[in-house]
Amino acid sequence: MNEVTRQFRDFFVSLKLTIVLLALSIILIFAATVDQVNLGIWAVQQKYFHSLFVLWRVGDIPVPVFPGGYLIGGFLLINLISAQVYRFKLSAKKSGIWLTHVGLIILLIGELLTGLWQEEFALRLDEGQSKNYSESYRFNELAVTETTDAAFDDVVVIPEKILARGEAIQHAKLPFRIVPKLYYPNATIPENDSKAPTPSHATKGIGLQVGVVPLPLTYKQDERNLPAAYVELVGADGLIGTWLVYANPGMPPQRFEYAGRSWKIALRYERNYKPFSLTLLKFSNDRYAGTAIPKNYSSRIRLNTPEGRDDREVLIYMNNPLRYAGLTFYQASFDGPKTTILQVVRNPSWQMPYIACTLMTLGLLIQFGIHLVAFIARRRKIAAVAA
Amino acid sequence: MRSRLPPLAAVALLLLSACRDPKIASYRVPKEKDPVMPAATSTASTPATPTPASPGASMANSAHTTPDGPGLIWSAPAHWTAKPASAMRKASYAISGEAGATADFSITAFPGDVGGDLANVNRWRGQIQLAPLAAAELATATTHVDSNNLHLTVADFTGGTPAAPLRVLGAIIPVNGATWFFKLSGPAPLVAREQAAFAAFLQTVRAAGATP
Repeated sequence: MNEVTRQFRDFFVSLKLTIVLLALSIILIFAATVDQVNLGIWAVQQKYFHSLFVLWRVGDIPVPVFPGGYLIGGFLLINLISAQVYRFKLSAKKSGIWLTHVGLIILLIGELLTGLWQEEFALRLDEGQSKNYSESYRFNELAVTETTDAAFDDVVVIPEKILARGEAIQHAKLPFRIVPKLYYPNATIPENDSKAPTPSHATKGIGLQVGVVPLPLTYKQDERNLPAAYVELVGADGLIGTWLVYANPGMPPQRFEYAGRSWKIALRYERNYKPFSLTLLKFSNDRYAGTAIPKNYSSRIRLNTPEGRDDREVLIYMNNPLRYAGLTFYQASFDGPKTTILQVVRNPSWQMPYIACTLMTLGLLIQFGIHLVAFIARRRKIAAVAA
Repeated sequence: MRSRLPPLAAVALLLLSACRDPKIASYRVPKEKDPVMPAATSTASTPATPTPASPGASMANSAHTTPDGPGLIWSAPAHWTAKPASAMRKASYAISGEAGATADFSITAFPGDVGGDLANVNRWRGQIQLAPLAAAELATATTHVDSNNLHLTVADFTGGTPAAPLRVLGAIIPVNGATWFFKLSGPAPLVAREQAAFAAFLQTVRAAGATP
């Protein structure tokens, strides 16, 4: 091993590095906790933990000011693995420490994979309603749907990020181009009490009656940004019209005819379709007697697949989620007496924290057990000598 | 020398942190109802179980007549719950919000002009503790929309008290010598949430027999 490689290895194996990284983690967590007041939990997670560096904007230039969660966690992971490989010798006496470190490595890898792979969606169901898709908590999409066929809808979905770029969008399945003209990342329909109506740039659809005004982005945990856009559809013969699309769930898709085919357009919460459907049979909401405080709420759901492989009833309630097809459906909230809101989570690495904690517990038990046995043996020896 | 593979594998894992690159996608799904406002064309082909909101949907395209002639038809949002019509009301819907808040949507029709737009707008204002408007103020306080060959006078007022603000969204439509009133009233936050649904609802209102 040459000198450079040795220095490189010694740096990553060093216990000093562990201490520095742990100290940096403490500062990062403290700063993120304080900043949560301004940004809310989701933005804080993105800015401080799911990033290599914490960035500050100086003008338009993002400047890294502190190592982010991925960098600190990554270095901790490398540090732990290196120490495991180069420093700790696997022996019966040290097996507990060894196992504890393996558990810690799995915990760190699990957190990284969760950050990368976990997806969270919401499924809102009224009693009697069936759905085979859930909706994103944060992301939105422009859906242009051809509804000509009596049995099927052909949908083209454009993620909000692409819409926000403002560039013309051409897709093979659409006989027209979509040209975003104005885009607001958060918007509202203002009250027009005794004032002139909000100007609207729309020439077709609901935008003829209402306009939107931009709002500052919200970072509050219980609020959601509702983007709006004016989009032009341009066919082979020129402009078809300009529509106002708005991701407010109260805004239904707007229908139109073009080239002898029927279409609808809507800005909506991003959807995640599934090969099965859920029907809400009954939503129950128990409250503590004489108060409005929820005691327990549960959803009786019918789960069925189109080919009939599964057709069964399940009861989802707090701390009793439904796990199906790699997804977990938690009872998350409700809206009114007959509407349930389930949280749908896909996390392929969900078992890793359990495995990690089990290994760490086992490791600590073994290590303390070894010390305890040795200690008792020593005391007995001393007692025997004294006697 | 020991293997350098584990640290390198850890670095590779770290570099895995690529962002989700958004892509345009297309797919085919079984025909589905619009989430809020099921149109007659789509409900017919959707094999979904009837929902509690379906009473609203079943009101869709049912014609209502006034003593003076043929009436109007509409499609109500799916989440508005239909209430029984009364002698006064052609149709009535309840809209529930958070913490037990409810808004009321009513459709009424009377022969003649029922005193004119100003009197009716001021009646709505009075219901939410607002002072009446002068005739000269009416033009700026209301908007006019033409939809499905109907002329709509649309009003939007917020009143009540600072602690409990109330809001009214209303539309007045003269049809065949009668006047139709569409009024959504209730707590201001709930009515604000329903504003887009109300605007979309008005687009569905048309004379019975007219093509959509």
